[in-house]
Amino acid sequence: MTVTAILPGGGGQGSRRASLRRNFWRGVGRVLRRKPSRILGVAIVALFAAMALVGPMLYPAHLPRDDNALYAAPSLAHPFGTDFEGTDVLALVVTGARYVILTGLVTAVITVALGTVLGLLAGFHRGRWDTVLMRITDLQLTIPGLPLLLVLSTVWKFQGPLEMGLVLGLLGWGGIARAVRSQTLSLRERGFIEAARGLGLSTTHIIGRELLPSMAPYIAMNMLIAVTGAIYAQVGLFFLGVLPFDSNNWGVMLNLAVFGGGALTSAAALPYLLAPLLAILLLTLGIVLIVDAMDEIFNPRLREE
Amino acid sequence: MKRLAAIAALAAIATATACGTTETADTAGTGGIYTTIDGSKQIDATAPINPFNPQGSTFVGYDAMALAWPKNNLTDPNQFYPGIARSWTTTPDQGEVVVHLQPNARWSDGRPVTSEDIRTSIGLAYTQGGSAYTVNAGAAGAAADIQILDDKTIKVTQGANHSNVFLRNVLSTVVVPAHVYGSLLPAGFWTTLEAARGTGPAADKAKAAITGLAQKVITFAPREDVSAGPFVLERINPGAALLKKNPHFYDAARIVPDKVKVLNYTGNEQIWNYLVSGKLDSAPFTAVPAAVMAKIKEAPGNEIRKGYSPVAVSMAFNQARKPYDNVHVRRALAYLIDRNQVTKIASPEAGTPAVTTTGIHGSSAKAWLGDGLAALDPYKVDPAKAEQELRAAGMVKKDGVWAMPDGKPWKVRINVPASFSDWVAAAKSITSQLNDHGIEASVITSADYVLYLDELAAGKIDIGFWLMALGPSPYNIYQRLYGSANGWSLLAGQLRHSPPGKDGNWMGGPETIGGLNPGELTNRLNLASPAEQKRIVGTLARLTNQQLPVVQIYDYVNTQFVNTTRYNGWPPAGDESLRLPAGVWMQLGMIRKK
Repeated sequence: MTVTAILPGGGGQGSRRASLRRNFWRGVGRVLRRKPSRILGVAIVALFAAMALVGPMLYPAHLPRDDNALYAAPSLAHPFGTDFEGTDVLALVVTGARYVILTGLVTAVITVALGTVLGLLAGFHRGRWDTVLMRITDLQLTIPGLPLLLVLSTVWKFQGPLEMGLVLGLLGWGGIARAVRSQTLSLRERGFIEAARGLGLSTTHIIGRELLPSMAPYIAMNMLIAVTGAIYAQVGLFFLGVLPFDSNNWGVMLNLAVFGGGALTSAAALPYLLAPLLAILLLTLGIVLIVDAMDEIFNPRLREE
Repeated sequence: MKRLAAIAALAAIATATACGTTETADTAGTGGIYTTIDGSKQIDATAPINPFNPQGSTFVGYDAMALAWPKNNLTDPNQFYPGIARSWTTTPDQGEVVVHLQPNARWSDGRPVTSEDIRTSIGLAYTQGGSAYTVNAGAAGAAADIQILDDKTIKVTQGANHSNVFLRNVLSTVVVPAHVYGSLLPAGFWTTLEAARGTGPAADKAKAAITGLAQKVITFAPREDVSAGPFVLERINPGAALLKKNPHFYDAARIVPDKVKVLNYTGNEQIWNYLVSGKLDSAPFTAVPAAVMAKIKEAPGNEIRKGYSPVAVSMAFNQARKPYDNVHVRRALAYLIDRNQVTKIASPEAGTPAVTTTGIHGSSAKAWLGDGLAALDPYKVDPAKAEQELRAAGMVKKDGVWAMPDGKPWKVRINVPASFSDWVAAAKSITSQLNDHGIEASVITSADYVLYLDELAAGKIDIGFWLMALGPSPYNIYQRLYGSANGWSLLAGQLRHSPPGKDGNWMGGPETIGGLNPGELTNRLNLASPAEQKRIVGTLARLTNQQLPVVQIYDYVNTQFVNTTRYNGWPPAGDESLRLPAGVWMQLGMIRKK
């Protein structure tokens, strides 16, 4: 069922792989071009990735303030106005992207890595492995994430995106583990796995080279969706004020706009509220559009259509 | 949690609407329905109708009455408006307070308010502890004897360890009916109380018996409200409480509104929306952003009443931690903070920048210190002086950034509770200013105020925002700086100083400075004559100004809201009644129907 098994071989192993890669990226290009919205999705995500990578380098370490322009209205100089200190809101959104996206990525990697490994092991081995791992998964799924995070925040200050991502990741892998286990239970009965077993291939080989590639599309899509989930979770926690203050964090911006600036009561702080909201909306939109493209890339039937 | 908040908000709107539609001006009579909020608590419709319960369904000034209501005086804590007490007399040292009750005072069920009710109320107050009614032997300002002189007169005698706020504490007694609450005090209660005032195992047992009643008193739930105030609770739901006029109130003719509706809220934003829509006839102090204030002022009839608020906010140092043990570092930070800018950012409508650090609110500092105020260092922004001070402390500057004397990085972390948006903005503004001057500074937030106070008390915080200047009593003012948070506490009438990190001493200041013991001086304020108080306050203000255990940032302004569409006769700006609930304004005959 792996791609390597069904495609005809070329000259050597290396050239066959290179040809595969070329074909794959050509296919990706075709799928993206088919709908302009998918190109837009890639552009949006690329923009946010660039913001996360180089955004903080575009501004001084301490953002400039204009003491006489507190909550200034949008203008050419300040497209989204200024905050309570007279700092450009756009600069806050751009420099804040790194924390949000890094947390999202760390969360997604941990969620997907843990969920996939445990799901594969449980589904493939069944028996005691399955019982033990799935009980652990059930236990994880019963832990209410938000209340736990609220309690944790009283003893742990979550100083960086890695810590934040770690905690969110450890709280979010249960669903993926269950789904991957279900897929594994189905795939392990297929002929190519039977054949691999019959050939006496090792468990590591079967899981790593036969089962995992078959589930790669599903896992990749889950990873992207996990990024959006992590962004909502962390921004929500910052908005509630339970995580440490960081003036350019999008959740903190929302909190200060609503509770400090009265953005829901008067228009003065509205741009300060809308800028991070727009950023979250755009980033989510970009990811959803890419997931749409990925669905077609990894699903041959959709591709043929 | 967010969803719950949203549901609560929707429920509040729904029920508030329900109250509004069922209680029209016609059904309420000619006096109309007066709409307000309770600034001290949110409504919990399941809470008992009991003023001893912190969430209780009673409302101070409306159906919860005290013997008297404190005036908002700059320096004198012993000035009051009459409440259930028509008048009172006291000996010069406040050793005895004789209270004369309103002759016509009656409960809402028609029974007269008697001295026995006051005695029962005092007994119940003992179960809660604190102020004049504490069972701690030797505590300053504790009542020693309660004597009924006649049906309308009662005498309260102070114990040996006097306090000059005894009168204030006695007159602040919340009054409840003996025929409803009396059964909460077991037979022999007064004998047990007498035993509890002593020392030894028997006294400890008696103390435990008294304080053991606390929960029973707090959870007591009378079937209906029996009030001696101008109103009595008619009904309550999660959105609002409705109170109707008490026909038996001793001064019922002065009370104009037929009903009072107390709206619930889950956050300041709801209060802003009530005010913007002109729904509230009055609202107590609420922190309001400048743009929202502008919208509130636009609503027809809305007016602002500003007055003195004996509260200030400061940036307090944990002097047990380096480099804040060094006064030069504290002074340097004071020279770098532009308090005008901080106030403009954090509390433009409800704060005035501190003139300097004295420990006292700016409005009362002039009254206490007179010309002495001008002699104090104003700590105006002066980077050159700050640099001198930092060099004097041995701090070093590397690549434009200040570091510790040993060259290690110096990171200023200012802690605030996340829920106090004005403090968060102020702390951010301060860190920005410090960063401008090469001091690496950042804001750290705690999830809520209780947790924040716990972290402070545990000594986990280097620098934290701190409420201070809680006047008008000078003892209360300086107790915030030289009290238990800084190591001084009263135990069995004896003042003792705990080392930093012990018994809640997180400020960690020295016990004596230049031969002066600020904790001892503060404690003496409890007993001193007015002239001596003035001398001590002068000394403590100078000491505070020089030593800077805190940097005073801004003084709060009591910003109240009134609406002249339906009622008038509001207290003018700066009035001594402004910090009291509108129910007391009504008792004083201020509120009139338009």
